[in-house]
Amino acid sequence: MSTDTTADAITSRPAGREARERLYRYLLFACAATSIFVTVGIVFLLAKDAIDFFTLVSPVEFFTGTTWLLPRNEFGVLPLLTGTLLVTVIAAAIALPVGVAAAVYLSEYASERARSVLKPALEILAGIPTVVYGIFALVYVTPFLRFFGLPLNTFNVLSASVMVGIMIIPMISSLSEDAMSAVPDSLREAAYGVGATKYEVSTGVVIPAAVSGIFSSFILALSRAIGETMIVAVAMGSRSRLFDFANPLQNLWQGNQPMTAAMIQINSADNVSGPGFKSMFAIGLTLFVITFLMNLVSNRIAARYREEYN
Amino acid sequence: MATPEQGIDWAGDTGQVSRLRGVAFEVTCLAAVAFALVSVLVLLLYVSADALRPFSADPGWHLVFFLTLVVPSVSAALFYYRRDEPAGEVAYATTGLPVVGVLGAAVFAVVLDIELVTAVEMFALLVSALVAAGIIAAHARYRPRAAAERMAVLFGAPVVTILGVPPAEVTMALNAALSALGLSIEFGVRLLSLREVILLTPVVPLQWIMVALSLTVPVGAVLGGYVARVRANPRAGLAFVGGAVAVSALAPLVGPVVGIGATGWILLVTFCLLPVAVYVEGVIRRREGIAGLTFPLILVGGVVLGALLADLFGFAPPDPWLDWSFLTSAHSRTPAEAGFYPPIVGSVMMLIVIALSTFPVGVGAAIYLEEYAPDSGLAGKFITLVEINIGNLAGVPSVVYGLLGLALFIRVLTMPTGAVMVGGLAIGILILPIVIISAQEAIRAVPDSHREAAYGMGATRWQTTRSVVLPQAIPGILTGTILAVGRAIGETAPLLMIGAASSVRLAPSGFFDQLPAMPRQIFAWSTNLEPEIRHGVLAAGVVTLLVVLLIMNGTAILIRNKYQREV
Repeated sequence: MSTDTTADAITSRPAGREARERLYRYLLFACAATSIFVTVGIVFLLAKDAIDFFTLVSPVEFFTGTTWLLPRNEFGVLPLLTGTLLVTVIAAAIALPVGVAAAVYLSEYASERARSVLKPALEILAGIPTVVYGIFALVYVTPFLRFFGLPLNTFNVLSASVMVGIMIIPMISSLSEDAMSAVPDSLREAAYGVGATKYEVSTGVVIPAAVSGIFSSFILALSRAIGETMIVAVAMGSRSRLFDFANPLQNLWQGNQPMTAAMIQINSADNVSGPGFKSMFAIGLTLFVITFLMNLVSNRIAARYREEYN
Repeated sequence: MATPEQGIDWAGDTGQVSRLRGVAFEVTCLAAVAFALVSVLVLLLYVSADALRPFSADPGWHLVFFLTLVVPSVSAALFYYRRDEPAGEVAYATTGLPVVGVLGAAVFAVVLDIELVTAVEMFALLVSALVAAGIIAAHARYRPRAAAERMAVLFGAPVVTILGVPPAEVTMALNAALSALGLSIEFGVRLLSLREVILLTPVVPLQWIMVALSLTVPVGAVLGGYVARVRANPRAGLAFVGGAVAVSALAPLVGPVVGIGATGWILLVTFCLLPVAVYVEGVIRRREGIAGLTFPLILVGGVVLGALLADLFGFAPPDPWLDWSFLTSAHSRTPAEAGFYPPIVGSVMMLIVIALSTFPVGVGAAIYLEEYAPDSGLAGKFITLVEINIGNLAGVPSVVYGLLGLALFIRVLTMPTGAVMVGGLAIGILILPIVIISAQEAIRAVPDSHREAAYGMGATRWQTTRSVVLPQAIPGILTGTILAVGRAIGETAPLLMIGAASSVRLAPSGFFDQLPAMPRQIFAWSTNLEPEIRHGVLAAGVVTLLVVLLIMNGTAILIRNKYQREV
């Protein structure tokens, strides 16, 4: 387009312009409002079947029951919840320290050139589909850990959780790195001015100043781990087990079934109908509420830190 | 934040101990980065080794290719890295561009193969769309002040040329409704569109001619226009178009000889040769990094020479699981014959649905939120709510979107279980928040001074958005969208929830057919315990998926880097 026509298009003021402007405004508003419809749609459609489910199975039984066995119509969600918690805790134990340390390196130590290679590399890792991570856990990580003498079953909690942890590292490191880079250089310079070393600046100034951003990245990553489906569906088997406090390590060697994998299993089983099928929506709604709340909290924390330094 | 009293412990403490501690800390942080990268890289190497089985080849074969391919390309890469950085970028682009082009050509070959759109339909659609655009442009030119009338033309012209009056679908729905009401009236009379008239023509030229007319000519014209503009020389543009036509005309001669057929040659010219020619022209014109142009030659030469030498010495090549027959045949119970073709086609068709449904809505929403949305008052509060909501939707687990797809599209709207359309729409909703957020960021990066300049000239909001903001934001929007679409290809959980079948033997040829998708097939193979599946077919599927994703993400990051430098 030549400059003339651009100027012409911009400056011409034809009649009926108002009507056109209004039309475009409404069209674009409709696009933006779609996101509200999606949320309302999720809540409404999931709640409809979830309520149906709760008329068949009492909520007390659902939230306090300790066995989840579809064929026998036993719908206690606790084993699924402990399964999810177990995965999340192990994944967090790996991903939180590694993610933050990686973020410190990228933000404080890495040269411009190293950063320009490392950041895209981490981004590409974050783009690997989760089903692939699941296959890594099942086909390569489990035999690898067995090689070290761990008594792992074919489907087990440990390798799946380790893989979930590795999957969320890029998320934590990139969000935390953003928070650390947002710390004003004047703070660092003040610390150097009173004779602090780089280590002291990193741990004593940058991390405390960015702590709310780091924390919000933790919450986002944990909500991602809670909602992670394919890794656990591929590598953790399909038998739900309540956490066994008598021998805690046994929980790691065996398979287990968190909430997300249970939904997949219900949907892929042919003979499930009635309350079994509807229970999927109850779990889905529970999952949606948990992750939605976690994201809200994370936003709040991140928003507070942004106010402080901008 | 440390108070001065606390600060005394650490500030100024410059002993040997603190240095050791600092070094240990730095090493720990570096180890964390290394762990994050290396752990996954090792797994990627394992899965590639399973898929490609490099150790099934003679050691001599490896030696030959090491000498002819690896040594020259690595030394060239090192040279670019040390001496001539622009050349490195040129090398990357001239190697990547043909790969992306071949992928694009392959997509179109598949579309023509499953007859999703035939060549004649493509041609008819193109001509009608051009005529509609011509009518709109003519109206804008001769009656520039009639805006309301132009709205009518804008929507009316495509209806007349492409859909017909009334559109066939409307007539059909109307007749169906009438017969459902028990009335025996039928609307038979309708004005055929230009597109339908062309389709009625009994004389149909050869497929490659139709493809050349409907793809190569427009692509060549657009690129030729670009060449003419950057060279400020209309003759250069004409020469480019002429060259494009000449190379296309070779199709019946060259295509069969190369083994891809005349249509294949046309597609290759359109998607691979022409863009590469434009890029190479730009490199030579700028005289920057010309040395990089030799890199693809080194690669191709290395492969050809290596193959010749290995053949000469009789070294056996490896026998990989991931080979041509894997990519072109359907799933089979025998691992050696199992293939990935239907899932590849299914994923591509799903992408079409996602791109058509999500891209316009996502970009529209981003434009509204950044350019139109009020900041204050009740409406402003509502907009804040919308933005928070979008952020939260981006964090909702994908399995929940699958559940939404199941409830909304299958149970409420009664679409067929596991159809391409359902999968595309469910995953489209999943990536919608990501598309909106990245498009918002791209639009926000356009400086306000540009908007103010446009408003100062008396432009309306839409004129400013269309002519000033969007052209600058497009590369950023494109990057975000490609990354989001990359995520969409790998999503598995929603596909399981909408009931995508585990093994579909036939590639879908319509949007309501059963959807076989790459990740779905991979999941199906992962439940098989046979070692030949687990360490062979499964790995080949994973590597195929990863290569597609790597190419998409690499393209996105390349666009972003180029764009960031220009701003």
